[in-house]
Amino acid sequence: MRCGTHSGTPIAVPLSHSHEVNEKGKAEMQLIATLILLPLIAAILLLIIRQNTARTIIVCAFGTLIALASVVFAGTYLAAGPVFFDFNHPLIDHACTAISGLCVVVILAFSAKYKNIWAALLAIIQIIVVMVVEFGFASQMEVEIGLYTDLLSIIMVLIIGIIGSGICIYALGYMEDFQAHQDAAARDRRPTFFALMFIFLSAMFAIVLSNNMSWMFTAWEVTTLCSFLLIGYTKTDEAIRNAFRQIIMNLAGGIAFIVALWFAITDVGTLSLIEFLQAGIANPAIVAVPITFLAFAGITKAAQMPFQTWLLGAMVAPTPTSALLHSSTMVKAGVFLLVKLAPLFLLNTIPSVMVMLVGGITFLLCSFMAISQTNAKRVLAYSTIANLGLITMCAGVGTPEAVWAAIFLIIFHAIAKSLLFLCVGTAEHHIGSRDIEDMDLLFERMPRLARFMMLGIMCMFIAPFGMLIAKWGALVSFANMDQIALILILAFGSAATFMFWAKWLGKLAGIAGQPPNVELSVHKSEWVSILLMVMLLVFACIALPAISAYLVEPYVVSAYQFAPVAFLVQDISFDNLYLASISVCIVVIALFCGLGRSKKRQVDVYLAGVSRDDDARAFQNSLSGQTVATARNWYMEDVFGEARIAPVGVVFNSVVMLCAVVLALVGITLA
Amino acid sequence: MGYASKSPWVIHYDGSSCNGCDIEVLATLCPGFDGERFGVVNTGNPKHADIFLVTGSVNAQNIDVVREIYDQMIEPKVVVACGICACSGGIFQDCYNVLGGVDKAIPVDVYAPGCAVRPETLIDAIVEGVAVLDEKAAQMKSAEKAR
Amino acid sequence: MSLMELIIPILASLVFAVVAPVVGCLLAGVDRILSARMQGRVGPPLLQPYYDVRKLMGKERVDVNTVQGAYVVCAFIFACLAGGIFFSGGNLLMCVFIITLSSLFLIMAAWSTRSPYAEVGAARETMQVMSYEPMVLLFAVAFYMATALILPTEGIGSFNVGAAFSLDFPVIAYIWPVFLGLLFILTIKLRKSPFDLSMSHHAHQEIVRGITTEMSGSTLALVEVLHWCENVLFLGWVSIFFVWGAWWSVLIAIVVALAVYFLEILIDNNFARVKWQFMLKSAWAVALVGGGINIAVLAFV
Repeated sequence: MRCGTHSGTPIAVPLSHSHEVNEKGKAEMQLIATLILLPLIAAILLLIIRQNTARTIIVCAFGTLIALASVVFAGTYLAAGPVFFDFNHPLIDHACTAISGLCVVVILAFSAKYKNIWAALLAIIQIIVVMVVEFGFASQMEVEIGLYTDLLSIIMVLIIGIIGSGICIYALGYMEDFQAHQDAAARDRRPTFFALMFIFLSAMFAIVLSNNMSWMFTAWEVTTLCSFLLIGYTKTDEAIRNAFRQIIMNLAGGIAFIVALWFAITDVGTLSLIEFLQAGIANPAIVAVPITFLAFAGITKAAQMPFQTWLLGAMVAPTPTSALLHSSTMVKAGVFLLVKLAPLFLLNTIPSVMVMLVGGITFLLCSFMAISQTNAKRVLAYSTIANLGLITMCAGVGTPEAVWAAIFLIIFHAIAKSLLFLCVGTAEHHIGSRDIEDMDLLFERMPRLARFMMLGIMCMFIAPFGMLIAKWGALVSFANMDQIALILILAFGSAATFMFWAKWLGKLAGIAGQPPNVELSVHKSEWVSILLMVMLLVFACIALPAISAYLVEPYVVSAYQFAPVAFLVQDISFDNLYLASISVCIVVIALFCGLGRSKKRQVDVYLAGVSRDDDARAFQNSLSGQTVATARNWYMEDVFGEARIAPVGVVFNSVVMLCAVVLALVGITLA
Repeated sequence: MGYASKSPWVIHYDGSSCNGCDIEVLATLCPGFDGERFGVVNTGNPKHADIFLVTGSVNAQNIDVVREIYDQMIEPKVVVACGICACSGGIFQDCYNVLGGVDKAIPVDVYAPGCAVRPETLIDAIVEGVAVLDEKAAQMKSAEKAR
Repeated sequence: MSLMELIIPILASLVFAVVAPVVGCLLAGVDRILSARMQGRVGPPLLQPYYDVRKLMGKERVDVNTVQGAYVVCAFIFACLAGGIFFSGGNLLMCVFIITLSSLFLIMAAWSTRSPYAEVGAARETMQVMSYEPMVLLFAVAFYMATALILPTEGIGSFNVGAAFSLDFPVIAYIWPVFLGLLFILTIKLRKSPFDLSMSHHAHQEIVRGITTEMSGSTLALVEVLHWCENVLFLGWVSIFFVWGAWWSVLIAIVVALAVYFLEILIDNNFARVKWQFMLKSAWAVALVGGGINIAVLAFV
């Protein structure tokens, strides 16, 4: 069965309206073009001009420009509602095909160099499917509206533009230290590194602004390739291995994406995202297969179990890469797609159940596994995967409230996680370790950094900060939908979340005498970025009611025109949001007070018996010798260890996804 | 009467004794004598305690411990030497390692004699100590006002 | 949204900050007398907890670092806010989240000292929070789902505590398994044996005094007061199960809350402390069985 175009479907955004906006939109096309092209120009400049000072200037200038452009962009389209741009050209289609081809060639070259058969095989399969789809079907597909923007895109543009370029600027100082730790003989490959970071941003802009799904796919592949190159940046054996793991998993996702496009063409008859969504709302059955495959693609990109290992492996890369992958790009592309499709999940049981279960199990098990990790970056990685699981879960539920929660999770996770990565990166270079146990006394050694880190951690798991408010929204939507399993998952997962964050927070909070302050040698560019994230975080938490009212709610309302949006306001009423804002202020004040000296008399801690050195926690033992008291956090390996838990999630989720794909295909055949 | 006297929290340390007095100290807190009638609570933490009950004599090995516990207690605080060994060294006075009573290490406010010290004596001593506690609290208050 | 909706919980928090310590202090006094009687003792006067706190306020002001005191003050403020939200009929989930924030600040205060004993206490307190948190969240959800069934609004429930007063009959009728589950984890929250791992009322001294090891004088006094306030709030949670449209249901609720308090004291005096493994497993099992099955049944009714 085929459903031609939108015509005759009275639902969703009427296209006549959009055409109206187009006239005005054409003049403003430059803005979107600027967003996508600015990072590209920066990347090219960085590749050409390889000098250190010049690079600093380019990165700072373009970072600032991109951030400004995204703010201007947001300002321009904030009030406009969804805007569609009548923009297409065969040249761009060909360019996209060429870029996809180029990606595959690069992957093949690397596979040959490092003798990785699987990556090569998947790349070849992918290019064959791409060729079939592009030249077999897509060439007849005219997508009038190449680009679009709505409030979700605006939110994503802000996240990518501000946080992404903040991370690029941070990378300046970080990579200088990083290079200093390398062999002097090693070639300085920083130009490539920065160029890749900017290409990444460009591709992300393209993903969130493309209405033509084949363009989106190309950008999708570009992010896969970029992260492959960034993860393998150090070229150690481990890095290469993890890079290939990433590329294999994401190529599988890419293939799912292109298969989804194939079905979109044959079953739905369109490659336009907006028409696809409208057709899906009008007739849910026809999109069941493509959205199952798209969801699969989103799940691989969002590193949900069983694909969680690629994101964990990505930790070998320099920290700015991790920050970029985790907070504003890559994994967010995956959940962006899922959130975009959320209205369709509401109407399609099979993909919906798949996405809910995969996300839910990932959230629960990764929260458990995070308890058993001592490596700060691995804790962050597990927490990212868990939170993405939560977002995935919300998208799978697909109700307006769940989408509200998912979008807030995306926003706060992006800010808080980038802040945390930047802090961990800086701490790593100054205390020489990324182990949480070594972060003892960080509060004194790096007083400001530790406080920022604490703020970031608190934002991740505790009320009144944004993440928890979003979790609250999720809980309410699950309760409204009577999703018992999800409620239980959320309850137990949140408890585990409390455990692993609180013990890290405690480690940071420790204060002893006066260890040397090693904070003074932190690069200025690092401080600037970290401060930017802190301010964003505090701003976003305090302005949560406003963000909800002006960005998220209007988006949800426009995305759910087909269904009555009984809104969250009854459940999380606004006075609660304001109470949360007030509480945020109190917490921030509490964290940053105590920088001065207290008037109370300072005494030593109790060590039972005779203390020898209080700061070192050394005391005289019963044989008059000296013993040092040590306390480690609880990791509970035997209860929450990876070896015990990971296989459960991998097997369960694989089975769920397999069943979903089979059921969807069977369903379409029967129909 | 101030509040200091209404809630004397005690900490108990055993120097070098035959342990007879320790048993009696714990007996004082047991249901039979029920020290909690007067608000007496046994704590394990010098930072929470008001009254320091020391049993046994002070020797070269434990003098630092006694001093440290005393130092970590927070003003106002009172020391009660429980039993004759704690008062003067008692039967162990002439041992090569014994320095003498608790007052060789820290200032003692109340001496409770006995071998072993009886719970009734201890309760009396604590009540005596509580009066000293009040006195010290009043002094602290006036000193604070003067400042 | 009117400004009043925002001001009411804040005013209520201020009132709570005054009233709850008084009530909580009396409850603590009763607790100590009852415990003493159960042990065959006479016990202290009723106002003993008050005397203790007054004495602590009079002690010299010392601190092991510059932040511990500030964190404890935060813990107190948020406990009062949680109480204010609850007793002004506000959102139950918000109340749950804010009281968790309060616990977090207490944990941070303990950890900030780097005292080995306080750290052990803080780690155990974290474990306690992890153990009881699922049941507390399920309690809020179950309340919501039960009101959805009872309220005349046709399937739309409410997290608002105030909604209990427009019910035809109390929520206990639908969510008594959750009530039992809450009673179980209440033992952890009230710091009663067998789950008083991080800080005990009694002279269990294997970790000196857990999270309060490095707190003294007025800081320790504030922790005591905080604990009283928490107790009042938790008994409030218990009583909300028994409230409905009739005004005199409040009296029943209070009686039940007091009975529960007595039960907790009885448990406290009859059980020895357990290990954390048992606490975690049993608390989660109770949450899964009591909470999970209960809300599953509610969902399919």
